[in-house]
Amino acid sequence: MTPEFIIGLIILLTGTVITAFPQRRDYLTRLINLEIPAFGLLLIALSYDETLALLTFIAVSTLSTFVMVLVIERTGGEP
Amino acid sequence: MPGAWRRVSTVNEILLWLFGAIAVTGSVYTGISRDPFRKLIAIGLLSGAVMPLLIDRGYVDIAIALSLILPVSTIVVLQLCRKGEP
Repeated sequence: MTPEFIIGLIILLTGTVITAFPQRRDYLTRLINLEIPAFGLLLIALSYDETLALLTFIAVSTLSTFVMVLVIERTGGEP
Repeated sequence: MPGAWRRVSTVNEILLWLFGAIAVTGSVYTGISRDPFRKLIAIGLLSGAVMPLLIDRGYVDIAIALSLILPVSTIVVLQLCRKGEP
């Protein structure tokens, strides 16, 4: 149990709860909150020394954020 | 004396816990705040606290890639934060 693993678990759980029950129930808040569990997962992958997983996960999460922003712009941002 | 050794935490480990506390603070503040700009600032705090943890493990290349990629996603999300909206 390295410190990175424990901190990653805490951030992952916090981010999941925050994303599921946000303060304002619009798409933008949920999209920004979705980045928090990504950091938690990144720290957990770091504690297992998975270099390729780290790089791929960072790239794909940024790409998915870009796609989500395009979709939210098209819908007008209102749920 | 066997069995009675005390676990000594090094300075590096104390620093790791310190940066972990900063990261947890950033994640909680992201959840609490309602303003999207404040949320983005808190995400920046979180990403800044993750960098020393990466570098302590020796992944300087990943830290460089992360510090190049993360502002891009912040800028992309900033397009959605319209002016005049809280």
